[in-house]
Amino acid sequence: MPPPDDPLYAGLGQAVRIGTELLAALIVGGGLGWVVDEYILGSGPWGLVIGLTLGVTAGIRNAYRAAQRWQRPPDTPGKDK
Amino acid sequence: MEENPLHPFELHNFIPINIGGLDVSINKAVLTMWVVVALVAALMVVAGSARRLVPGKLQSLAEMLVDFIRGIVLDTMGEGGMRFFPLVATLFLFILFCNLVGLIPGSYTVTSQIIVTAVFAFSVYGLSLMIGFALHGAKFLGILVPPGTPAWLLPLMIPIELISQLARPISLAVRLFANMTAGHVILGVLFGLTVSGGLLIGWLPFVFTIAMNGLELGIAFIQAYIFTVLTCVYLGDAFHLHGHDEHAH
Repeated sequence: MPPPDDPLYAGLGQAVRIGTELLAALIVGGGLGWVVDEYILGSGPWGLVIGLTLGVTAGIRNAYRAAQRWQRPPDTPGKDK
Repeated sequence: MEENPLHPFELHNFIPINIGGLDVSINKAVLTMWVVVALVAALMVVAGSARRLVPGKLQSLAEMLVDFIRGIVLDTMGEGGMRFFPLVATLFLFILFCNLVGLIPGSYTVTSQIIVTAVFAFSVYGLSLMIGFALHGAKFLGILVPPGTPAWLLPLMIPIELISQLARPISLAVRLFANMTAGHVILGVLFGLTVSGGLLIGWLPFVFTIAMNGLELGIAFIQAYIFTVLTCVYLGDAFHLHGHDEHAH
């Protein structure tokens, strides 16, 4: 096992992150749409359709953000300050 | 011989306890968590008690872990984030040791129960919301509006940002749970093949079991690491609120 401060871990961490990022937003978007359909408005499939669309968008946005964070060169300590 | 690969995830009650209809039995998962807590505490207490300038084996392991977590905190939150260091370090060590203890054959992987990972994820997310509202008040709702959004896009951006915020704890919980469960299912299936294959061909999946165990060791570490990093990122977001865009210079 390489030492824990190996930059390989940061890279691997980002890599395993992006897949679930897409999935989770899709679950939340679809879930919210479905709840609106079933329990609140009874609006047929439209809540689910719109919810899934927004979920996909949010997922891609999250993945994009994760990738942006990745872009920061690993040797600059702390981006703020 | 057939073995259900999901069998290792079943919880067996050792001491059934029932308080007012609430099941608080001592089962495999609870017992394993106690073992993990005892292990982490023992490591840190024993390693910290020496305080030698030139550290021994145990002390340098503990120092390496603490320094590693400190690096994560400073990297994602900056100097001000060090006040969350005890929380972040506890989370990291607990999850890491849960994952590692789960790799010992015959033991139990606590992090393969989604309720455990979900409790961690939602507590972290709840804490980040509390910090955000305590520090910034109603202005914290501005986290739903990314900086530089034109006004006509707001009706679209706010629902998208809301979903992407709500997705945070879910992705945190699902990632850890799914990775640990999937790895152990694969190990279970491979070992099942070993048992049913017999001597002639059974050694082949057994070799894979060993290889998978090595891979799982890496995954145990990476999953603990990514959970900790994202904890820091979410706490840092609440802490700074677009901080890296506005106060950068």
